[in-house]
Amino acid sequence: MPGVERSPRQLAEFLYLLTRQELKARYKGRVLGYVWALAHTFALAFVYWIAFKIIIGLDVTNYSVYLVAGMFPWVWLSMGVTGATRSFVVNAPLIKEMGLAHAILPLASVMQEMAHFVLVLPALIAWVVLPGGYEPAVSWLWQIPLLLVLQLGFVYPIALGCAVANAYVRDIEYLLGIGFPLLFFATPMVYPISIVPEPLLQYFELNPLHTLMQSWRSVFMEGALDPAQLAYVAGWAVALGAVAWALYRKLAPRVGEVV
Amino acid sequence: MTNAVTCEGLWKTYQRHRPVGVKTLLLGASPPADTRFAREWALAEVGFEVPYGRSFGVIGANGSGKTTLLSILLGTVQEDRGRVGLNGDVASLLELGAGFHGDLSGRENVFLYGSILGMRLAGIRQRFEQIAEFSELEGAIEQPLRTYSAGMVARLGFSTIIHSAADILLIDEVLAVGDARFQAKCHQALREFRARGGTLVIVSHNMKEVTEVCDEGICLDLGRVVDAGPMAGVAARYQERMAAVTPAKGESRAGR
Repeated sequence: MPGVERSPRQLAEFLYLLTRQELKARYKGRVLGYVWALAHTFALAFVYWIAFKIIIGLDVTNYSVYLVAGMFPWVWLSMGVTGATRSFVVNAPLIKEMGLAHAILPLASVMQEMAHFVLVLPALIAWVVLPGGYEPAVSWLWQIPLLLVLQLGFVYPIALGCAVANAYVRDIEYLLGIGFPLLFFATPMVYPISIVPEPLLQYFELNPLHTLMQSWRSVFMEGALDPAQLAYVAGWAVALGAVAWALYRKLAPRVGEVV
Repeated sequence: MTNAVTCEGLWKTYQRHRPVGVKTLLLGASPPADTRFAREWALAEVGFEVPYGRSFGVIGANGSGKTTLLSILLGTVQEDRGRVGLNGDVASLLELGAGFHGDLSGRENVFLYGSILGMRLAGIRQRFEQIAEFSELEGAIEQPLRTYSAGMVARLGFSTIIHSAADILLIDEVLAVGDARFQAKCHQALREFRARGGTLVIVSHNMKEVTEVCDEGICLDLGRVVDAGPMAGVAARYQERMAAVTPAKGESRAGR
């Protein structure tokens, strides 16, 4: 990177400051700050609960826990990628004037949403335990951090790839605006995979988003993690990482001229 | 290697890299209507050297390639041809408020900006008092930056950058918004920076300022170096040329 020599430690500090300040700026001047992070997702979950459980009569045990346990990680994923995609454009002055290590910017966006998710975790756990009636498991202490790292590794390459692409072709952010709601319903999030009809089932099972969200649900609802599922998501993360890094290496040097 | 900054035969064009939408992809780009700024070369055959501890001025009319030149030095824009050599850490103050966040306080912004400039957290903490004192903004340092005036933002930016560990500073125009006394303070700080072996590259339209601060310099016109040498002479000749082209006759520039 041009500009100044940056050690990994300095970059880590910069990432920390950037993430922290973004979070601070986001909550400043909002009395209910933290509550807003919860309200949106719980309200949506309530709407799905009415629509699918009460009206359609979907038969899923503990449907409200099923919904919420998948939706919060989904919010991290979709908001993280969406925020990261705009990060080069929004931070154009930084890129143009500072000769900044670009890859940090989308990472800060993803980390910010991850921090958000971690802040929301106590409320999510409370929901799983109290109305849900699930026993808090000791195994959560290693399962949840493991999934956090796995999801970060899965989301960041997507975020990085979208961010560099969006610097050149601004349509990406609009595409994501359509893409994520479509993906949400194409992934078993509000319905169980068991009701997907046979000819389609094999394709639904290939979806790494389903595997990832299923892992979160199985941790909260069964206290169990399937190593095969973890390996499948990790494989996707590595493949996406290779593609995103190649794209970044090729496109990043000109980003300063196109944003 | 006694030079802090070396440029040899720099060429740069912007024509080939533009953000595109689907419409442009499908229908092809239409030619730009205004041809004055859309010339073939943003920079053509630009070369100069700045030894350690010296101060170098870049002057010229709007659109003559000054900012492109600084961006290439900084590495945010890539040259098409030529060679750039920089020996040392580079920091820049190119745009007012770049790297600052309006909702955060002056203090938080100093930390973020210092980190952008490559400073370590411990270093920023250590120098924070000095930075705040130099900016004379202690009374407002906990207020959100959006309540600052342009002059106050410039003060904060300059105070941070002058306390960073950079060996080479690239400064574009931004000192113009400070009041006369703070400008004098900045000039003093820049002299001390050079006395420590620091190197400056300054873009400015203020001939008095560049003459005062810079030892040598170049004048750019349409991306080419049209004049080079001791700053006072370059600035004087540039002002003569500018005075000769009165606004009415100035229209002929476009057709050239």
